[in-house]
Amino acid sequence: MPKLTIDNQSVEVPDGTNVLEAAKRLGIVIPHFCYHEALGAVGACRLCAMKFEDGPVKGIQMACMVTAQEGMVVSTLDAATVEFRAHVIEWLMMNHPHDCPVCDEGGECQLQDMTVAGGHTLRRYRGLKRTYPNQQLGPFIEHEMNRCIQCYRCARTYQDYCGGEDFGVLGTNQRVYFGRFRDGRLESPFSGNLVDVCPTGVFTDKAFRFKSRYWDLEEAPSVCPHCGLGCATIPGGRYRELQRVRAGSNRQTNGFFICDRGRFGYGHAAHAARPRVPLVDGQEVDWTQALAAARARLDKIIAAHGPRSVALLGSSRAGLEANAQLRSLARLLGTDRVVFAAHAPRDWTARTLAAGLGAQASSLDDVRRSDCLLLIGADPLAEAPLLALAVRQAVRGGARAAIIDPRPVALPCATAHLPLAPWRLGQALAALGDNDWSRFEGQEAVFLEGVHEALAGARHPIVIGGADLLGPAGMRQLLELARRLSREDRPCGAMGVLSGPNSYGAALLAGDGPDFEELSNAMITGEVRALICLESDPLTQAADPAHAGLALARLDLLVALDSLPTKTLGHAQIILPTTVTAEGAGCFVNNEGRMQTFMRVLAPGLPLRETGGGGHPPRLFMADTPGAAPRPAWEILAGLQGRAASLAELRDALAREDVRFAGLTALAAESEGQRVADAGLALPATRVEDYVPRDGELALLVCEALFGSEETAFYSAPLDPVRPEPRLILHERDAGRLGVTPGEQVRLHSAVEEVVLPVEIRADSAPGVAILPRVRGSLVEAFVPGVGPQPCRINREVDHA
Amino acid sequence: MNLWRDIKGTVQPFWVTLRNMLRRPVTVRYPEQKRTPPPRYRARIVLTRDPDGGERCVACYLCSAACPVDCISMQAAEAPDGRRHAAWFRINFARCIYCGLCAEACPTLAIQMTPDFAFCKDEPLRLVYEKEDLLINDGGKDREYNFYRHAGIGVVNPRGGNDDEYGPVDVKSNLP
Repeated sequence: MPKLTIDNQSVEVPDGTNVLEAAKRLGIVIPHFCYHEALGAVGACRLCAMKFEDGPVKGIQMACMVTAQEGMVVSTLDAATVEFRAHVIEWLMMNHPHDCPVCDEGGECQLQDMTVAGGHTLRRYRGLKRTYPNQQLGPFIEHEMNRCIQCYRCARTYQDYCGGEDFGVLGTNQRVYFGRFRDGRLESPFSGNLVDVCPTGVFTDKAFRFKSRYWDLEEAPSVCPHCGLGCATIPGGRYRELQRVRAGSNRQTNGFFICDRGRFGYGHAAHAARPRVPLVDGQEVDWTQALAAARARLDKIIAAHGPRSVALLGSSRAGLEANAQLRSLARLLGTDRVVFAAHAPRDWTARTLAAGLGAQASSLDDVRRSDCLLLIGADPLAEAPLLALAVRQAVRGGARAAIIDPRPVALPCATAHLPLAPWRLGQALAALGDNDWSRFEGQEAVFLEGVHEALAGARHPIVIGGADLLGPAGMRQLLELARRLSREDRPCGAMGVLSGPNSYGAALLAGDGPDFEELSNAMITGEVRALICLESDPLTQAADPAHAGLALARLDLLVALDSLPTKTLGHAQIILPTTVTAEGAGCFVNNEGRMQTFMRVLAPGLPLRETGGGGHPPRLFMADTPGAAPRPAWEILAGLQGRAASLAELRDALAREDVRFAGLTALAAESEGQRVADAGLALPATRVEDYVPRDGELALLVCEALFGSEETAFYSAPLDPVRPEPRLILHERDAGRLGVTPGEQVRLHSAVEEVVLPVEIRADSAPGVAILPRVRGSLVEAFVPGVGPQPCRINREVDHA
Repeated sequence: MNLWRDIKGTVQPFWVTLRNMLRRPVTVRYPEQKRTPPPRYRARIVLTRDPDGGERCVACYLCSAACPVDCISMQAAEAPDGRRHAAWFRINFARCIYCGLCAEACPTLAIQMTPDFAFCKDEPLRLVYEKEDLLINDGGKDREYNFYRHAGIGVVNPRGGNDDEYGPVDVKSNLP
């Protein structure tokens, strides 16, 4: 712990800290461009100059390149260094265009700030400026190369941190250029981070182009609702419209970056078909009438059929407080039929994880620091993109990563992949735990033995499992494996990849309660007459959507609370519009049990863009904001219980009632969050048996895709251009047997539906498995992931015709 | 001494009155008689055009940020040629205090103040001026200035075609 003096203040910092960071700890902000905590120091911009007056280093040095050492005396205000920095700024500005008024970065531009801070007000250089051609970089990023100051942050982010290969540095001399070899969409799913890291306006957000200035945006710390990892984000809104999302920083979860799904998935808030007014039988009513009607009809059904004829369905999309309010509403109504997920197998997997994770819980930061990772049945890029980035950082730090998965899982780093059929993942987990390879042959046994050896010899091993492919039984085995690999001196971490932002929290509330399958059976038999559906869409989320459809059709009353125009709303007699994440405050529990709160960014309302029809806003005086009716789900559910409560009161009550959420009251937004306390729940019994195809049969495995599968992001217009076309992935051996060529149309016969799809042929997927990534809004929407392999039959479409 | 001061204080005002009794009045009979205010007078705000007839305003939001009473609001948009412009631009003159900070903040000389001070209305909403009410077919002061000829990002001239620029570099060349 060296102690040094900066501007006459002494500070003690951990070994290996650079002087720039040490100054930051004292609150001294020194201009810098190329240094970024996540990217490290390269000393390229020459801006963080400080005068080292005494100690092991002397003279003017770049603070980011000097490691803090004992006895250093540093000055940031020394006249020579201030002049040095002013000169650096002046030369960085030499070729910079004069276009701040038309640049989207203006107002949040580091170069602007540093130019002002450096005192550069008048251009002295009278020569000509260098210019560049621009490139079309796809639907997310706008390129304006003339603004570049060659700090290399973009290339270091894109190539080094995110592992993208299609973007980098070109040119020599005065022609250094940051772009692709030729125009085209940036391939990395983390490309949006270029907007955040670029210190000037070379890369700006195309979806946000010219919409607002930074100073006009309403911003607040939030949590990303697009997967189970709970990355910190900062959404920004103006004129009643959520206009952009930028990465927040949480060192325990995402670090400093987010994926494109999280960054551009905000459009659902302004979806044209979004429910905006309470509806009773299709009639617009006010809140008092809507709540009274809902309550009266529920009471009527309870009076006629008993309290257990009412069921409640929560969701992993809704916050913890809303789900907890659903539970207390159930208690008030006297029913025990309350379920917190519409997808029963996912529900049980999440409950298994929540009950058994305990001290093995690992954060994304633990993954980044790990030296040996096993990913089994998890495809991070599709299911939880930032996990792929965390794995990459571990691999960059020298870790070994092994993937066991039937899909052709591609991570942006060097990994070893064993394509194993889904029904054999459990065997692999058992084999790794027992150190017994008798059920595997040849290469597979060698691979598993190698993985076992690496995990046993590692200092910080973590096993990561995907909920969809492992299922409850597999998740249990994964946790068991982590326990077996743990030793006194060296625990082995575990992580489960869950689908929703609050899957873990919903699972904690569910405990050993019923699941949706039980509920839908009760609906079909007529035992359940009414359903209160909280931000859940069984018609697209349930493991068997057709069955869920039959069940919903039998109901006497469906009360739906939602912020998305889901299919389920079409069956509802009473629709109560809720706010989206950015419009309401709440708490999500992420896949490692970390409670994180999000704050209200903007009030709900119909965007001015729509009410004004593109032109100037209506010249009307109005007392009410159009489209402002949606309320937070917890408020509506408290209203259905006949009370008005503030969020703080609800959190207080939840924390007092349930010891696991004790930390909730003291939780601040923008903090690192807090893990739920271990309550020692019993692991739920597992019941599901996977289908195992016989020789020569193909099994259909439906899985998630990066874009197009996740529910909230599907309703987001900025992501429309990247939604993939549905396709079926076959192993080359199966394709050869069927006589299918790449791109050929095949007919897929399955229990769900019969569809015609093009084929992609891979050598790195598991043989005997046909993989179908789900794309919502396409012909494969009815196929739901997370249900295990299904029997199927595939014919060439030519033969069929 | 106080006596002298009191006598002076009593007599002097009479002297001032007497002196001005014989002067011609400086007041005019407004509104029958109108006076031309000086050209830099700060009154009704206009949006000007560049010498090529294009809208100068690029909707950079600097005027609305500078406005101390928040009477300017706008929405920027992109034209097919990449030009940034205001989709709508609104000044609420009922709220404007004619301080001139918007004109001072304007980087493209689009927003300018004119000497037209007499435009009160009997209805507040009629003092809310939209872009079509504000935009004039003239360059106002500094007629020759065209922001895009100096901005350095193309739009009006081809990229690298401004007077103070080299043409775009060939990034694939490896010549020294």
